[in-house]
Amino acid sequence: MAWLAKLSTKQKVLLGAFLYIGTTILLLAVAGSQGKNEEFKPQNEFKLDNWIPIHLGPADLSINKAVLYLFLASALTIFAMVYIARRMQMKPNRVQAAVEAAYGLTKNQITGSNLQGSYAAKWFPFLATLFFFIAFTNIIGYLPLPTNTEHEVSIFGLSIPSFAIYAASANISFSLALTLVVWFSYHIEGVRAKGLFGYLKSFLPAGLEDMNPVGKALIFVIELLSQFMRLVSLSVRLFANILAGHLLLLFMGGGLAVLLGVAALGVLTFPLAFVFFVLEVGLIATLQAFIFATLSGIYIGGAVAETH
Amino acid sequence: MDLIAPVAQAASGVTDTGVKDAGKAIALGVGAGLGSIGAGIGIGFIFGKEIESVARQPEMKDDLQSIRWLGFALTEAVAFYTFIFGLIAFFL
Repeated sequence: MAWLAKLSTKQKVLLGAFLYIGTTILLLAVAGSQGKNEEFKPQNEFKLDNWIPIHLGPADLSINKAVLYLFLASALTIFAMVYIARRMQMKPNRVQAAVEAAYGLTKNQITGSNLQGSYAAKWFPFLATLFFFIAFTNIIGYLPLPTNTEHEVSIFGLSIPSFAIYAASANISFSLALTLVVWFSYHIEGVRAKGLFGYLKSFLPAGLEDMNPVGKALIFVIELLSQFMRLVSLSVRLFANILAGHLLLLFMGGGLAVLLGVAALGVLTFPLAFVFFVLEVGLIATLQAFIFATLSGIYIGGAVAETH
Repeated sequence: MDLIAPVAQAASGVTDTGVKDAGKAIALGVGAGLGSIGAGIGIGFIFGKEIESVARQPEMKDDLQSIRWLGFALTEAVAFYTFIFGLIAFFL
């Protein structure tokens, strides 16, 4: 390996790129294309089969994969927080330090900088729970499991449903339900703080005192519409981020190669799948939880703030 | 015309469903692609301005950090809105 050390950085990079693309081309020449694969249905990763059907009239409350992941995430949230809180030490170990840092983030950044005084104390548990619950839901969605397939897995004769890399937050019902809770709670809190008419009046931005009534009414309608747009933006942001991340991992991690029947494509895309996996787990999963909780804090803070 | 159209279709190999599928695929590709241009420019602006601000006032670094991630996530979400509308166009 002495000749490798003699190369300059530029030459090493060129050699690496040449090997990377060369392997792909070589494999393409050797393996060729098997034609399009019609049987493989990668979208089955997001399909929800009813495991325990529960039907209450028109409402379908069946237990499926997403519900199981939600239960897991909520159990993990409660267990992790209670366990750490019970075993607090003066000299924190690594896990306690990490949880304390996350607690400080929810306390200072998410709640403290958006809500004042008694409102911060009142809404801190809600916002912190939102943050930890969404973060855990996102993160357990990235656990690669041995039963990671689109089919049912047979273990000792039992057919076990597959647990692919699936996140409950890749489903719009999850984020929409959380968004509705946030949306109604901040409107109700605003009405309680200012009264119904006072709250509606506070939709108008400051500095419009000299405007004629028609203009004021128009701006009021726009502001009212923006309140409903918050429902869409808050829910779609979380769900689309996670869904796009999972689709990207699915296609880069071999789905594209199998679907098109070109094995050589896998060599090209698989390293990228690692890069995206690190990005998704390290940044996007926590960042989206942070954004959701922060925006909830901003909305609640805006609803109760004195007219400015 | 009623007679010619099916024959022409059969001869050229272009079917109604084929055209429709192609249109859907183009909608997804072009829509999501154009959407990410805007989000890419926006994210570039956010990080560029943040670097500029920290260079001017290094003591503000901690305050700017959380604002930067907020801006990043809000801008990045725009790309995903177009992606979702592309998916809606693709599957409906």
